[in-house]
Amino acid sequence: MKKITSILLLMIVVCISGYAQKESGPAIYTDRNTYVGGEILLAKIFVPETNSSRIIYLDLVNQFGTQITGASLEIRDKQANGYLQLPDSLSSGIYMVRTYQKHTARKIKALREIWISNRFDGLEKTSQINRIENLIPIGEKETNRIELEGFETKYPSNKPVTTNLKIAKTLLDSIDGDLLISVAQTNLSFDPGAFWVQNNQAAEGMIEKKGVIISGIVTDRKTSELAANITVYLTIPDSIPGFQYYRTQTDGRFYFLLDRYYGSVQAVVQCFGNTPDQRLKIKLDDFFAESGSAPKFRQEPISENFRNSVTQDIEAVTFQKVFGQRKSDLLPAPSVSLETYPYYGKASNTADPQLFIDLPNFTEISRELLPGVKFRNYNNEPSLQVLNNPMRNYFNEMPLLLIDGIPVRDLNLIKGMGTADIDRVDICQSERFYGDLQFPGVVAIYTTKADYSMLPESDQLIRLKLETIQEPAKLAEPILPEPTVPDLRQVLYWAPSAKPAETLPIAFSTSSVLGQYKLLVKGRLKDGTLIYTEKQFEVK
Amino acid sequence: MNNQIKYLVIILMSCFFASPIAAQETLKENWDAQKIKGARHLPYPSYSGFPFLTDTWLPGKIEFSDGEIADSLFLRYSSYKDELVYFNQTNSAQILIDKASLKGFSFVDQNGISRMFRKQYFDGFIKGDRYFEVLADGETDLLAYRNVELTSTSPYKDESGTLKNMTYTNEYQFYFYSPENGYTLVRLNNNALLSKFKESDQKPIKKILRKSRVRVTGEESLIFAWKIIKKEGFKINF
Repeated sequence: MKKITSILLLMIVVCISGYAQKESGPAIYTDRNTYVGGEILLAKIFVPETNSSRIIYLDLVNQFGTQITGASLEIRDKQANGYLQLPDSLSSGIYMVRTYQKHTARKIKALREIWISNRFDGLEKTSQINRIENLIPIGEKETNRIELEGFETKYPSNKPVTTNLKIAKTLLDSIDGDLLISVAQTNLSFDPGAFWVQNNQAAEGMIEKKGVIISGIVTDRKTSELAANITVYLTIPDSIPGFQYYRTQTDGRFYFLLDRYYGSVQAVVQCFGNTPDQRLKIKLDDFFAESGSAPKFRQEPISENFRNSVTQDIEAVTFQKVFGQRKSDLLPAPSVSLETYPYYGKASNTADPQLFIDLPNFTEISRELLPGVKFRNYNNEPSLQVLNNPMRNYFNEMPLLLIDGIPVRDLNLIKGMGTADIDRVDICQSERFYGDLQFPGVVAIYTTKADYSMLPESDQLIRLKLETIQEPAKLAEPILPEPTVPDLRQVLYWAPSAKPAETLPIAFSTSSVLGQYKLLVKGRLKDGTLIYTEKQFEVK
Repeated sequence: MNNQIKYLVIILMSCFFASPIAAQETLKENWDAQKIKGARHLPYPSYSGFPFLTDTWLPGKIEFSDGEIADSLFLRYSSYKDELVYFNQTNSAQILIDKASLKGFSFVDQNGISRMFRKQYFDGFIKGDRYFEVLADGETDLLAYRNVELTSTSPYKDESGTLKNMTYTNEYQFYFYSPENGYTLVRLNNNALLSKFKESDQKPIKKILRKSRVRVTGEESLIFAWKIIKKEGFKINF
């Protein structure tokens, strides 16, 4: 009996420890604590050990939980680096930078308070500042095993600074991954908090193991029921269009994986009814996590120091804009092997109508320039057929018709297309397959405008700009200003992926912006403890 | 008492497994896998001989050009056209997989032997991408090009009594290949194999083969002989 009881106890302990492990969330650091609308926020995220997703999200929400902007970042070696372009139009106040993974977004999110000032209204109308309360703070441990060699407490402006970061051997062995090293202006009267928002009861979603997943649901417009067995298409128009499809099950849901794209991409999500009179409606899930309930805030009066510091920030950013000084530079996206030929296959014929005489409509173009393509428009009822070359006869079914890579079924869209509208036409004169999709020939029209304006807006078609994996960025190299132009950088050094070594050289130059600065080193130990060391200095 | 413990264990287990089950979503298997691109395979003209390498569909896997693998496919290699055909169960269609989309494929034959094919550019007569079977790999690979030609033969009557004069004939070719030196054709006999080595190496190789009682008369003995020679450190003289 004792044995059984101890086994049970052991089970409970194991289960509880399992849960405890799940509770550790990501940690987020930003280059500064106060920003001005229109600036770029640089961020570094440490991802928990138990992670299996390739993507982590970074977004900005206001005090009411409304999402303002965001990005999806690639996790490498349990860390992610990214940035957010802060909109110009934000009103002054406290905002929260959040980070989370989609599958655990309901369970755990990390958020960090930041202050954003509006360049045009500053702090004139504000006397109180909201601060988050009642959330679990992300614990960090200050370490004295990282030292800065020859680092002063005062530096003149516009002068180079070099120092060596010395990491004790005992610490070096226990550091997990890279370190974040940053040097930035700091506002001593504002010490923002970083918190975890947790809900252990919430269910987990789908893990984004390979890349960003976009999902949604298809419903029948007549019955408002979930539409099963509907093929939903995702097209990313390009010279070689990207294409995916998903056949819905009884839950009406669809999923697409975007694992090979970086940056913003134009996309079209669409579906067609299984019968001509079936009308459907597509709804995409939110790309970013739902805001959930906003945290509680307490109010604090704004100090005079804070007010002065914010005014100085606004001036610096305004002049940066005037002088066109950039904060970050985009790096080339990692090379990924995209398709070498379209999903519908290599064209058996390609026609470029621009090389021939002007033809007024598609009937003429098909007749004169497209071998094996029969487009007829009798009694205003257009029809399209393609030759099945291996069988030497025409397919009875309508071929796959694409405009700029996007499947269309309405032939009325192309009947008026003349030479001026068409850049090229690809034709596949055989029965093609893409996965389980079957195409009785293909006619792919690439338009001269390539703006997809021909596609009719409907509930069955969504045109959207997708923010796929964010392209990496780095802090812009300071452009040596002319003697009359001040260097207005407030972030002097940002190395989010510094490889730990016993001696790490740090070199930067101070800018023309005077004030208090902080050199910060952040890292994570193999046991998950977040560590930091900081050194304050003044630029005079 | 024992029953109470059992119930307690069941309750505990159900508590801890409940949340992951709730989190699962109804997803199609391999929904995010790369899709196979191809065209419908049309039957070859019926003559004596056999245009395929194997007479049945065999389970195998393909490797896309980006390295992604798709497995549990029913494959058949067309030696006649040097194409890979797979059976799409959803459409009940035989599909010729686009060669441009593949890096290679493998399947387990009727004898349970795993056979691996690799797409490589052939720079000899009739240049282009070909599927080569990898018989032995290493610094220098021993490859087989399982070619079947449609050749004319003396007239014969097929099963339906139609008079025909064409037949599918195996024209397998064997090559030593290294990325630096390219291809060199080898025929299935001792002298042809020996001629692929430096003159100074030929005598010791001959001795080794004699000692190992290997005489190259066919494909298997060629593979065996090459493995022995390779082990001794002799290199092909391209």
